[in-house]
Amino acid sequence: MSEAVTLRCNVNGSDVDREVDARLLLVEFVRDVLGLKATRVGCHTGDCGACTLLLDGAVVKSCLVLALSAEERAVVTIEGSNNLAEIQAAFVAENGFQCGYCTTGMILTAAELLRKSPHPSDMEIRHALVGNLCRCTGYDAIIAAIHRAAERRGAVGYAVGSRQ
Amino acid sequence: MIGARFRFTRPETLEEALDLLAGAGGLGRVIGGGSVLVPALVAGQDAPALVVDIGRLGLGSVREEDSDVVIGAAATYATLLASEVVRRRLPLLAAMLREVTGGPGLWNLATPGGAACYANPASDVPGCLVALGAAFRLASRRGERLVAAENFFRGAFETERSPDEMLTALVLPAPEPGRHAYYKLKHAASSWPIVTASCLSIDGRIRLCLGAAAPVPLLLDWPTPSTTEAVAAMAEQVQAAIATEWTDELAGPGYRRAVVPAVAARAIRAVLEERTS
Ligand SMILES: Cc1cc2nc3c(=O)[nH]c(=O)nc-3n(C[C@H](O)[C@H](O)[C@H](O)COP(=O)(O)OP(=O)(O)OC[C@H]3O[C@@H](n4cnc5c(N)ncnc54)[C@H](O)[C@@H]3O)c2cc1C
Ligand code: FES
Ligand code: FES
Repeated sequence: MSEAVTLRCNVNGSDVDREVDARLLLVEFVRDVLGLKATRVGCHTGDCGACTLLLDGAVVKSCLVLALSAEERAVVTIEGSNNLAEIQAAFVAENGFQCGYCTTGMILTAAELLRKSPHPSDMEIRHALVGNLCRCTGYDAIIAAIHRAAERRGAVGYAVGSRQ
Repeated sequence: MIGARFRFTRPETLEEALDLLAGAGGLGRVIGGGSVLVPALVAGQDAPALVVDIGRLGLGSVREEDSDVVIGAAATYATLLASEVVRRRLPLLAAMLREVTGGPGLWNLATPGGAACYANPASDVPGCLVALGAAFRLASRRGERLVAAENFFRGAFETERSPDEMLTALVLPAPEPGRHAYYKLKHAASSWPIVTASCLSIDGRIRLCLGAAAPVPLLLDWPTPSTTEAVAAMAEQVQAAIATEWTDELAGPGYRRAVVPAVAARAIRAVLEERTS
């Protein structure tokens, strides 16, 4: 049955080559094997969004992904993301977090939204955050933070990507 | 970590994938987005011997083939939401896709094909696919067959697909789009559907498919009504057509049956009044 299998992928710009058990989830691979602890686990059912990271450039809930499905693909966690400083500053300015557990998922999801829609409406922001739960803030401050980040960016576009 | 051991493969050819599934008996599982299968493995609700990831099989695209639109089984909600072909030729499907919850972290992973194979009655996907007259392309080492959506959904969490068969594509007839509406009742923005209604105006007739009301989608069809009384009568007929009501943690006995006429009437009126959702 399942023995350790080799997983080759790219994480935050570096090639990774590890023996893993087929039963390992992608979120467990980044946290427990690679020690990248900013990606969290809140539910294991796909509901909370705390485990959000980028797989081939798109945000995914990494508790729904088997680690071996990342073979030959690019994984970017918030530790390896650049161009997030303005969003992070906006979360601080608007008190967009309290305990911070949901924050990495919120920020990566907000970054993908702003990449696709640089000046989102309230409804667009709420729609984009429908899969990210926060037990502390009541969401208003998070929505305000994303508006603030959009305003600060002004006409300057940006991308989410891995630090090379 | 998942408890029970299994073998994982991510083959590069369909032939290899089908051989593996054939060899696994009833213990092979295909993984699309994993949004249903992975939590089930974590919770120990499913314990397959083999998991076959279809991510490398090139099944993730949307193509126009003559009068049909062919959607690969690995195409995600996000791929379809971004597809110009889907927007232009399948506006009812596009309206349904916009209503799926879960956020971009789910839309970038999960597939309508996976939702169809899961066949949860309380899903957006089955009812919409039945309304659109979709067909399911199933492949196995025994060959390929095309199953009409009406025959594909056999019961709650039960489909016509055999364990050795892989869904490779959804085939959707796409005539000139007419008026359409997708309406769903749910308790909160992030909730799964209580009842869905997919409604189309085709050749002077109204086609309505209700999802989540019964274990399988319920399809009805009438000449276009001209009075509000006629719409009310249609809505009553929909209610009468529910042989077995679907109940789950979202809505207990009697709830879905009670709300069905209102949901049906809203969808029909939206189509008649040319409001598209
Ligand atoms: C947070 C959240 C929100 C959700 N919101 C909604 C919603 O609003 N509406 C809704 O309808 N659903 C919703 N879902 C349910 C569900 O995840 C999706 O409907 C999804 O599309 C399932 O697809 P998947 O590709 O992830 O399935 P998977 O988990 O990959 O597969 C599901 C089942 O189908 C089988 N399967 C998958 N692909 C194939 C194939 N090609 N051939 C043969 N068998 C196959 C698998 O073996 C498994 O049994 C939600 C789920 C989550 C976690
Ligand atoms: S831990 Fe993945 S969505 Fe909650
Ligand atoms: S800040 Fe605590 S969960 Fe969001």
